[in-house]
Amino acid sequence: MSDLPPKRSLKRWLVTTNHKDVGILYLTTSLVFLLLGGILALIFRAHLWESGGTGLLSGNEFNQSVTTHGLVMVFWFLSPIATGFANYLVPLQIGAKDLAFPRLNALSYWLYLFSGVLLFISFFQGGSWSGGWTIYAPLNVPMYTPGAVIEASVGGTMAIIALMMFVISITMGTINFLTTIHRQRAEGLGLWNMPLFTWSWLLTVWMMLFAFAALFAALIMLTIDRVMLTQYFATDQGSGLLWAHLFWFFGHPEVYIVFFPALGIMFETFQTFCGRRLVGRKWVIISMILVAVQSFLVWMHHMFLTTINLEVKTLFMATTIGISLPFDLMVFALIYTMVKGRVRFTTPFLFSLGALVLFILGGITGVFLGAVVLDYEFRGTYWVVAHFHYVMVSGVTALVGGLYYWWPKISGRMYHEFTGKLHFAAYFIGFNLLYFPMFLTWETPRRVFHYSGGDLIWHQMATIGAFVFGFSFLIMFANFAWSLIWGPKAPDNPWKYSRTAEWAIPSPPPLDNWPGRPSYASGTLEFVEETSAHPAGAATDGGTAATDGGTATVDATVSESTGASGDEHAHEGEHADHASIWPFMIGLGTFIMFLGMSGMTGVVVELMSDQIAAHLGTEDVSSNVNADQILGFADMNYVYLTFFLGGIGFLSYSLFMFGKEQFNAPEMEVAERWPFEGVGNTKFGVWVFLASDVIVFGAVIGAYLFMRIWAGWFTFEPIPDYTWAGLLNTYILLTSSFTVILALVMAERSNKKGLMACLGATIMLGLAFMAVKAWEWGGKFAQGDYWFSGLEYSLYYVTTGLHALHVIFGLLVGGFMLYRIYTIDAYLEDERPVEFFGLYWHFVDIVWVILFPLFYLM
Amino acid sequence: MTSVKTYTIIYVILLALGTGKFLFFTFDFGYATAMGGTMLLAVIKSLLIAGYYQHLVDEPRSISYMMLVAVFMVFLLVIAAGYSIQ
Ligand code: HEM
Ligand SMILES: [Cu+2]
Repeated sequence: MSDLPPKRSLKRWLVTTNHKDVGILYLTTSLVFLLLGGILALIFRAHLWESGGTGLLSGNEFNQSVTTHGLVMVFWFLSPIATGFANYLVPLQIGAKDLAFPRLNALSYWLYLFSGVLLFISFFQGGSWSGGWTIYAPLNVPMYTPGAVIEASVGGTMAIIALMMFVISITMGTINFLTTIHRQRAEGLGLWNMPLFTWSWLLTVWMMLFAFAALFAALIMLTIDRVMLTQYFATDQGSGLLWAHLFWFFGHPEVYIVFFPALGIMFETFQTFCGRRLVGRKWVIISMILVAVQSFLVWMHHMFLTTINLEVKTLFMATTIGISLPFDLMVFALIYTMVKGRVRFTTPFLFSLGALVLFILGGITGVFLGAVVLDYEFRGTYWVVAHFHYVMVSGVTALVGGLYYWWPKISGRMYHEFTGKLHFAAYFIGFNLLYFPMFLTWETPRRVFHYSGGDLIWHQMATIGAFVFGFSFLIMFANFAWSLIWGPKAPDNPWKYSRTAEWAIPSPPPLDNWPGRPSYASGTLEFVEETSAHPAGAATDGGTAATDGGTATVDATVSESTGASGDEHAHEGEHADHASIWPFMIGLGTFIMFLGMSGMTGVVVELMSDQIAAHLGTEDVSSNVNADQILGFADMNYVYLTFFLGGIGFLSYSLFMFGKEQFNAPEMEVAERWPFEGVGNTKFGVWVFLASDVIVFGAVIGAYLFMRIWAGWFTFEPIPDYTWAGLLNTYILLTSSFTVILALVMAERSNKKGLMACLGATIMLGLAFMAVKAWEWGGKFAQGDYWFSGLEYSLYYVTTGLHALHVIFGLLVGGFMLYRIYTIDAYLEDERPVEFFGLYWHFVDIVWVILFPLFYLM
Repeated sequence: MTSVKTYTIIYVILLALGTGKFLFFTFDFGYATAMGGTMLLAVIKSLLIAGYYQHLVDEPRSISYMMLVAVFMVFLLVIAAGYSIQ
């Protein structure tokens, strides 16, 4: 595609796919969300100035502020700021030129940005989601929150949809980073030698892959509940527990997902500013891996106050205590690194040290909550609020340290050291003033602004602390602004003992990152000359960056060691593309579609009102609901409808153009790939995507099993009338799997006619599958059985509907490929895309193999 | 690695197994046997599709392990959650 416009033009930022640009976009956007979330916090903290509230906010506004604050901080600030660092630094630390899929990376960013915009739009749709960031059932469906909240149902739905869109963005990022870190490491850079920030990020994305997929499944079900009136979370038959299980299966790992990158930054800065390799580095890595695994084994410690049985509570208490052990090891490793090194108290180090102190306090108070008995006392109080802020803001503290640490690299300028230290002082004092009193007011119930008079002084201290803490960020922004305008130019490596690869190239690094091919084959970083097009001067230049970790005995600075000058374009021969507008356009299309979707409940109710009324006349949806309440939603809102349909059209067009665009992102020829050598980047990416889809489908199928177990297995009967229809569809799908694999054979033989015939047959079979399905559903509708007719019906329609949606996506992709073969003879030279399509199609087939017995036979 | 013959044999087996699932519930085997039997057939079918149509047998083992971890996660969630309400 076209060249990349200069950094000063707006167009650059709309079309860029370069990892450093995207990193900067992520960092700045997340800081904006920090400010927005922070302002919400200051507002509701001001409201808490007096017991019973100052009247600044209404009750519902208070709930919205607390809820949105929590959502914004966790999802739109804390995770993305780490993503920003990872985008910028991971390719540099592992010696790659970019991420494996640059356009996908830009797409992740745009989906993230637009999802945040949707969240804030929700305030203007009658009010945002107000039921807490944990979105507990059954309050998460409108019919259980009558009164004021019914009006807010559109805004509430919007907040849920925004979160769903955010998760889509995260999933794309996960696929990208897993592929990049596993397959794009410079020669000689084994996993053990990888820098610790990259290590922490690698584990973060592995956790994200599994955790966010579970959340995605939960959000799909919740969105369908809210838009289509299905009943996953609306019943009194296990709905609350179903949500809690799905949410916390995601939510607990999420705690480590947001903390790990911060931990990685702490390891890096401790090494650099203690002038010493991390003590017990290998054990630290092993501990991190352990924590990542264990994080999926403790989720029920968030459910001690529910009706789960005592055995399982005890078990999860034990696993929770178990997970604190590897953390202890990491804490001691950091402390010993300080003891054994020579500490220099720069701003980044102060923040990292502060993070360590806060983390220790947060960890200790967490042990209280992990014990079932104490949790009965503390759950739902300000103790919890204090605890999780000590932990999470500990992460924030280290990330702020990271901002200072890498500021010279990213901006090319030094910040003001004294002002940085001033920031730290205000930050640390403000923070403790804000949260320590919350431990003391532990009897105050959480999310309530009525507290006992005796606690007044503590709450007022906290509010003052909040303003000091909030103000401290202004010092940081002022410092950075000063630095951009007047700050002295930064050398390549301003920190004496930093040893990771990003410090071996200029600040800021050139577009292509390296003056040649980075290699660690000799033990230290070297740049190997690669192509003859490369100017001879910059050949094999001995940078002195070790793979990781400084040492106090080495006293030479590495700042002037690289031979690369910023404007040297060594790699013009490869023609890597950098610019594409389509990620932005896809983001915009998705944004418009979801904007419309948030208001579709009214349309659905309007269209189905007769059936709903008829249905509610005979049998209760659930005891709390009556027809009037639901029919109150009816509102054929053509604006929303137009947005929804128009958005789908725009999105389809953008996806089509994205698919057609020529975009070359060369795969590294020489790279360390353990343990995923022998598959191409794209194929690996497809497999990672399928792994996440296994979880999404698994969680939806799991929801069916869970609800069925809850109901007593034999109270459910198969919903479809005809088992043979399911069997017929089994045959059809199996046959389509067979034809799609034949299509691959044809592509390998460069047989255009055969390829078109086989792919065409696959598509026809897919359409036949959909026709049988439509016939089956039509028959059910004719009998008056709809998705809102009862929990079993919701489970049947949504699970098989999600599968059908997968078939439809497959049909769209297949149709696109057929068009490409017909028009430009695609895939005859390179059959791999046919194989990738097949992987997906077979996966959808496998899902049906499981669904058929579950929904038609049992 | 691609052999139309292998693919065809697998296709026929898959059709047979699919029919088998149906038969389990059509003739009276008792619910538990039928359920166990169909699930077993479903697992075999999934493995055949994944192994041969998706070529997992030819890919590095690590890919299969990754998919197994994903499946394990689902089992972990469903079994633990199912147990928690017993
Ligand atoms: C800087 C990073 C921060 C993060 C990651 C964070 C995260 C969270 C989360 C997840 C919640 C839970 C919301 C809910 O229960 O629905 C929350 C609530 C709260 N936050 Fe923050 N927060 C941060 C900063 C702040 C600041 C600056 C303040 C004060 C000015 C603050 C004060 C509160 C209070 C008082 C609550 C209410 C808790 C409740 O009642 O549940 N937070 N925060
Ligand atoms: Cu937890």
